[in-house]
Amino acid sequence: MARKDENIFFPRYLFEIALVALFTVEVVLLLAALFHPAVGREIDFSAQYSPRPEWYFLFLYQLTKYFPGRWTFVGAVLLPGLAFSALLLAPFLDGGRKTALRHRKVAAATGFGLLLAIICLTILSLL
Amino acid sequence: MRLFDYLNKRMGFTSRHSRVLDKPVPGWINYFYCFGGITFTLFIVQLLTGLLLSVHYVPSEAEAYRSIQHLQQVVPLGRLLRATHHWAANLMVVMVLAHMLRVFITGSYKNPRELNWVAGALLFVMTMSFGFTGYLLPWDQKAYWATVVGTNMLGSVPFIGPSLAAFVRGGPDVTGRTLLRFYSMHMLWFPVATGFFLWIHFHILRRLGISGGM
Repeated sequence: MARKDENIFFPRYLFEIALVALFTVEVVLLLAALFHPAVGREIDFSAQYSPRPEWYFLFLYQLTKYFPGRWTFVGAVLLPGLAFSALLLAPFLDGGRKTALRHRKVAAATGFGLLLAIICLTILSLL
Repeated sequence: MRLFDYLNKRMGFTSRHSRVLDKPVPGWINYFYCFGGITFTLFIVQLLTGLLLSVHYVPSEAEAYRSIQHLQQVVPLGRLLRATHHWAANLMVVMVLAHMLRVFITGSYKNPRELNWVAGALLFVMTMSFGFTGYLLPWDQKAYWATVVGTNMLGSVPFIGPSLAAFVRGGPDVTGRTLLRFYSMHMLWFPVATGFFLWIHFHILRRLGISGGM
């Protein structure tokens, strides 16, 4: 049974969820109707060409630029791999029961530091 | 509601799902708790538009580019269909990140929800992998060379790099075999894996409920 501070899933939350889902689909359709992705040129196999990847891979693209030649591995695989390992294991690294950020200073610094680094690299790649 | 009664008697809609519908939801949650649900909605959009796109797309070196042009220029609503898949994909990445950030800030991944975060992190990898493989499928200039650059990164791993890149490409270079391989991953392997991780993600959410107050 629901306590006083709780609500039953149906109908209130189901209604709100349905509205949010509908809104999401409408935003997608609106964007799709307004902006069509172009089809690029046909492949020119003869000339090496380095295109910009999708925006969510730009940080990785930028990171590899700092590690040329035989160090490519560090920027392309090692650093992103370490960052992802930290992400995957976050609940184990950020132990303890306290959930408020002010009690999780190391976790907060690491998490937001990583986010800031990714945002900075993305911006740098666009300059 | 004779039809409803007829179906209900045979399919038991109300009895099975009343448990889900009566589930209590904490009263303090706000709209920051919507990002995961929005991501799932976008995934459904991707599933539906992907199914429709697959009717027109031909995953071969000779035909891929032409089939996309055909879709854009000849197929009714083809441009809108492709644009919808494109935009839902981009928004999905945004919403996955927003969802992860919210869970991180509220510390919701803590005991006993650690494994749900792990499943979620794998879903994040799936989302990025869908993006990476889907990018090649139009088989145009930037798709091709972006895949060359991307798979070269894998090739940079010491010792096993070249075999790893060759495994992903289906050969030493990016060719029509890479296209088929990426198509297979994008259309079959990743959706199946994503479905599995989603099931875990939702199962744990159902069993443990939304994490307690901040």
